[in-house]
Amino acid sequence: MSVADERRGPAAYELHSPVLQARGIDLSLGGAPILRGVDLEVRDVVRPGTCTGQVVALLGPSGVGKTTLFRVLAGLQQPDAGSVLIGTPGVPVERGMVGVVAQNYPLFAHRSVLGNLVVAGRRAGQSRQQARARATDMLHRFDLLDRASLYPSQLSGGQRQRVAIAQQFMCSEHFLLLDEPFSGLDPIAVEKVAEMLVEVANLDELNTVIVVTHDINAALEVADVVWLLGRDRDPAGAPVPGARIQETYDLMECGLAWHKGIGSSPRLLEMAAKIRSRFNLL
Amino acid sequence: MGLLVGVQAAVALAIWWASPLRLLPRPDEVARAFRTLWMQEGLGRELWASLATNLQALGIAMVISLGLSYLTVLPFFRPLAAAVSKGRFLAFIGFPLLFTLVFANPHWIKVALLVLAMTVFFVTSMASVILEIPRERLEHARTLRMGEWRVVGEVIVLGTADKALEVTRQNAAIGWMMLTMVEGFYRGEGGVGALLLNQNKHFLLAGVFAIQLTILTVGLLQDYGIGVLGRALFPWAGLTVERR
Repeated sequence: MSVADERRGPAAYELHSPVLQARGIDLSLGGAPILRGVDLEVRDVVRPGTCTGQVVALLGPSGVGKTTLFRVLAGLQQPDAGSVLIGTPGVPVERGMVGVVAQNYPLFAHRSVLGNLVVAGRRAGQSRQQARARATDMLHRFDLLDRASLYPSQLSGGQRQRVAIAQQFMCSEHFLLLDEPFSGLDPIAVEKVAEMLVEVANLDELNTVIVVTHDINAALEVADVVWLLGRDRDPAGAPVPGARIQETYDLMECGLAWHKGIGSSPRLLEMAAKIRSRFNLL
Repeated sequence: MGLLVGVQAAVALAIWWASPLRLLPRPDEVARAFRTLWMQEGLGRELWASLATNLQALGIAMVISLGLSYLTVLPFFRPLAAAVSKGRFLAFIGFPLLFTLVFANPHWIKVALLVLAMTVFFVTSMASVILEIPRERLEHARTLRMGEWRVVGEVIVLGTADKALEVTRQNAAIGWMMLTMVEGFYRGEGGVGALLLNQNKHFLLAGVFAIQLTILTVGLLQDYGIGVLGRALFPWAGLTVERR
């Protein structure tokens, strides 16, 4: 039984302590405000009898600042103001604390699949033997054991994505940020990636996967919570520079989370239409 | 591919052999000149001396150029690398005198001139390889908790090692091209370049052709050897290339 199947059933859940918080993030690039007062929070979702990680989708139109916020959350870019805190009590994020899978799944081309994972484990402080054992376990979990000795250029796009995710989990353990993981995929591939992300999230209670995307349907299919990033409008209707979280859609509260095949549900389609109409105003 | 090269080489040889143009020595004349040069004038010994000089210069140029190119990750060193790179527009005139004042030994003057010639091209190629590394590759390493020097080691040194060898391969060829000229400045030291210039001075065109073909053969073998070494050391490098 896959993890996605486990998500069927009563949606009883509790929200525990925050696993990630961003407070008052401001950032300008080249004098132009990109982010303005971004506040967000991810809390540990606990469902009795299941191991449930958190999947959050950050939605927004192209060019609104999603990737910039992604970089700030990953500790790759310092904001002008505000902070990103990890865990409870909150520790300021530093690069390496949050796993990052960029759009084209970067890997070290000069290392084998196993080598890519081992080097990540070594950076996380594991001994060579520990890193190798954990890497082998990770490859087994991601169904990549038979690809261990291949180089990244010998992998398919899907395999490459899984190796990139596994590599980040070798190092960052519980947090994973993915930039546009559904980009350029056909609908079947989108479903498979969505399933895999849910499985990855549910590998550990504390796992938190944040998906940055502009694909509304895929985001709703995979996420428990959706953040909508966008710009305000002035009274004349012109966009005000600098994006912030305009809306938070709690799919757990709406009973739309943890159901496989939820994508065709009328309520979810209705929500997708509502979000799509807001896109034009962001 | 091998068959194609063989057939083309055979056709070229046949055209050369049958050419009515008497300006060029015929293949049999070149072969006889080669035999004389090898048996009586020490072509083998001179070739070995030139090869050793070339490899010595290549090794030193590699260390200097790779070091300087890797340092371009620090903005402080970029103007220096750019200045060295511009040196490829300079002529050799004046440098032999300068190096004569610095090095007493003619061998080291030749090596210094070759290092200078190779370094300006090596730094140009290698700095360009490094500057073209996309930011996302560096950031990927940083997300794995790598410090800046570790990022340099992983992404810049190891990640471009195959390209560094390829640049070395190209510069080894430049070394052979420059070697004959440099050895011409210091004929007393010998070398295949000095031998070539002596043959040329006496209009012994068959001897000139014999030496040129010998240099070409050694150069091609060296090129092939570095290619084999590259495929053995960096097997990932050719995986995305469609060889034709």
